[in-house]
Amino acid sequence: MRFSRWPWKPRLEDEVDEELAFHIEMRTRELVERGMAAAAARQEAERRFGNLTRVRKTCRDFGKGRDRHMRRATYVSELRQDLAFAARQMTKNPGFAAVAILTLALGIGATTAIFSAVYAVVLQPLPLRDPSRLLVVGERMASMPGMLSDVSVGNFVDARAGTTSFDGLAAVQYANFNLTDGVTPERVIGARVSAAFFDVMGSRPAIGRAFHETEDRPGADGVVVLSHRLWAGQFGARASAIGERVRMSGVPYTIVGVMPASFDLTRDSEDLWVPIAFTPAQKVEYDNHYLTVFGRLKAGATPEQAQAELDAVAARLRKTDPKNDGTLSFAMTPFTQQFVGDYRTRLLVLLAAVGLVLLIACANVANLLLARGAARGREIAVRTALGAGQWRIVRQLLTESLALGAASAALGVLLARWDIALVVRLGPSDVPRLEQAGLNATVLGFAVMIGLASSALFGLAPALQASRTDVQGGLRDGGRGATRGGVRDRLRAALVVAEVALSLLLLFGAGLLIRSAIALDRVNTGIDPHGVFTARFTLPEASYAEPSKVVEALTRIAAETTALHGVTAAAVSSYAAMGPGGGQNGLLPEGVPFALENLILSRLRVTTPGFFAAMRIPIVKGRAFDDRDRAGGLKVMVVSQALAARAFPGQDPIGKRIGCCEPGPDGGQDYKTIVGVAGDVRSMGPATPPGPEFYLPVAQAPKDAWSWYRTFYIVARADGDPAALGQPSRAALARVDPDLALFDARPMEDRLAGTLATSRFNARLLAMLGVVGLLLAASGIYGVIGYFVSQRTQEIGVRLALGATPASVVRLVVGQAMGPLAVGTFVGVAASLAASRAISSQLFDVSRTDPVTLGLVVGALLLVGVAASAVPARRAAALDPTRALQAE
Amino acid sequence: MRHTPPELLHGTLAALVLKTLAGGRRHGYAIARAIEDQSEGLLQIEDGSLYPALYRMERKGWIEAEWGVSELGRRAKFYRLTPGGRRRLATETAEWTRFAAVISRLLEA
Repeated sequence: MRFSRWPWKPRLEDEVDEELAFHIEMRTRELVERGMAAAAARQEAERRFGNLTRVRKTCRDFGKGRDRHMRRATYVSELRQDLAFAARQMTKNPGFAAVAILTLALGIGATTAIFSAVYAVVLQPLPLRDPSRLLVVGERMASMPGMLSDVSVGNFVDARAGTTSFDGLAAVQYANFNLTDGVTPERVIGARVSAAFFDVMGSRPAIGRAFHETEDRPGADGVVVLSHRLWAGQFGARASAIGERVRMSGVPYTIVGVMPASFDLTRDSEDLWVPIAFTPAQKVEYDNHYLTVFGRLKAGATPEQAQAELDAVAARLRKTDPKNDGTLSFAMTPFTQQFVGDYRTRLLVLLAAVGLVLLIACANVANLLLARGAARGREIAVRTALGAGQWRIVRQLLTESLALGAASAALGVLLARWDIALVVRLGPSDVPRLEQAGLNATVLGFAVMIGLASSALFGLAPALQASRTDVQGGLRDGGRGATRGGVRDRLRAALVVAEVALSLLLLFGAGLLIRSAIALDRVNTGIDPHGVFTARFTLPEASYAEPSKVVEALTRIAAETTALHGVTAAAVSSYAAMGPGGGQNGLLPEGVPFALENLILSRLRVTTPGFFAAMRIPIVKGRAFDDRDRAGGLKVMVVSQALAARAFPGQDPIGKRIGCCEPGPDGGQDYKTIVGVAGDVRSMGPATPPGPEFYLPVAQAPKDAWSWYRTFYIVARADGDPAALGQPSRAALARVDPDLALFDARPMEDRLAGTLATSRFNARLLAMLGVVGLLLAASGIYGVIGYFVSQRTQEIGVRLALGATPASVVRLVVGQAMGPLAVGTFVGVAASLAASRAISSQLFDVSRTDPVTLGLVVGALLLVGVAASAVPARRAAALDPTRALQAE
Repeated sequence: MRHTPPELLHGTLAALVLKTLAGGRRHGYAIARAIEDQSEGLLQIEDGSLYPALYRMERKGWIEAEWGVSELGRRAKFYRLTPGGRRRLATETAEWTRFAAVISRLLEA
């Protein structure tokens, strides 16, 4: 029969048909009883029924609505029951709820905060039109593979003329300007840019206009576009600023535009732009590389096409200008990639680390829920016996987990606000856009998502347990062990394994980074930064066009600074260390034939004599500069040990000559005699090994030097607090020229710390997370072993009664923890060795599989694990056997 | 010749069904018969119009249905009143009484 298909709840179609057929049958039977013939009765019944087809359809339509409504109603009412039940459970056991919610909220808050940083720095799209088409074009020199170096004007002009797959190529030269506005000159970072710059970047002025092509020419270039930041800060955000005239570095400019606030990409991005206006002479300069070049790919053009065109230009240049461009080739990187730099990896490592903490927190809460599940075994058994389906029970438990997760996520978001502020405040200052981290829709969405994911994770264990509840057992033994041994103990052990493995992973990563940070701290950078004051200033081209004026000013500034009270040694230099500036030249030792591959690329400092004393760079051989080294005298240089070893391996370099930096009197090399060898300096920061470096006296600077260097460093060794030299140095500078502005004034130790800030920050944060993870894992182990003891109170009582010593009980209980602890350690070590690859680029002087770190971490973890299980073990050993036996 | 039963007033069918079910659970045919018997044949509803009404009332939550076995041993769908249906019956009865009173007063005045 058809009914057998649906014993209790038929399909809607069958239900209607069956019901209507029944009615007609009954009516027929009634009519027959009244004496009608069967056939006639049937006919009459159908007639009285009316339009069967229509009735059937109407019933089905109503039925469908009814079924949908009922399903929804049932679901909602069950959900409401479950939520009410969850709330009751929480309020009935507020301690449990508080611990669980707080644990999770801390994890969710921290994860959300780091995600907000990742979002701000890495994921958030740049506020530029179609940033994926924006490329940075650089030169690739054979001597520095893998690095994009700056482009010479000639090469830029040729590249621009020889390519068609770019909508535009724009050259940028970053420069400092002294903005004279009232009494004190203000130093601002700006850039000289091609007229196409703003179009190439994909942004346009919010008010006013960008540059016309006609203004990108010498003589017509007295126009400036301001950043929103500068406009708001210095010009009071007046719309009338457009058209105003300002003097910058002694030259008048007319303000023609203001960029939108979104174009202030970072907090220290440039503040104004002026046309770069190459002179005809500059356009054929191929050997001076100082331009940053941006290119925007045409719609439909591929990077490969652009690269092929650039390759063709480079091939031409190699032929036409072999002296400068013999090995030239062009390379490109996406702007976004260059913009974010290696912070991407660092931040993702941090995100992974907080993720691990959150996972450990989830394991802990799962553990708590399991423990409570044990106490609720009877309740669940009763509900099952009363007819609640297994799925219904699982759903109820999941609803409880979700309620817990939602509460935690809500609290976590509140905590995240605070965490984000902390990350932004303590984070290294040079992380681009970190200050933009905040709680936006994406970040909130992320928090909600991880809240839900966590609920699913920690809700899984108790739900699994419930789905296997044995009703009779649960009712019989009073819920003491609804699933005696078996499943639940395996689940608990698995949780401990997971917690141990995760914390080991976390601690190992933290350990490696901490060791790297310590190693970096201990590196001898070659200078003694303690007690050294540094600051920078710019000599504007307008008022210091004559090289002799520059030399005179630098010499006087050095003398004024040296004479300051509390200064033991001071100098002015084109570059100090650990900061922006500097520049490299190709050096050719005398006697070596000229060939590009024979040039030794070395960092140049043009300094006044006091530099070595002020920085405490040891002169290991020969002498430092002194008053003998003046214009017209013997041209001298001081070389670093690394350069000496490269140029004259195994020989005494003193008295030897190296050609560099300018053409000699005969048109060939201009040779400088080595008078001293200085100790090596890690100029790029402790993590970068020292390269070849050399020093030239200011008085003998190459004739082009003042087009390479316009911004200089003051370095002064103080016998007291170097920070106190700020005002006196400013005054000293003003005595030489009141129009000069001192900027970036800070102790040398600050600059050094700046290069270490990121690695320190990461190490510190990871160490914190490691400790939190370890504490969570410890409390997890404690919970599991505590549960074990409470479950086996009777058994332990029997053992004690039979004469077991407390020590053997402690061994028994601690031994229970050793299994999962060992497995967790094993898994954790394997995972750590595999995962440490992710941070290998951030390690310094420590192997990513460093056995010492691994040993320490494993040791610490085992110690904490044993300690965490020893507490309940001692409680077990102290049991009174008679009371333990009665315990039920 | 048979007396032609009066047309059922619109909307009163639901009230009659509710009233019938107040006496206990019944299947559709039994409801139809009960209404016929109670009205002593004065009210006769077209059999086909009963079922859409039943489904709609189920949707509204006034009645609920379950499958059971009829007096004659056949499977049949039985309806019974829900608490909501009981409340609805009270409302409908009160309204009907008031309406009837008004109409009779007007007609008898």
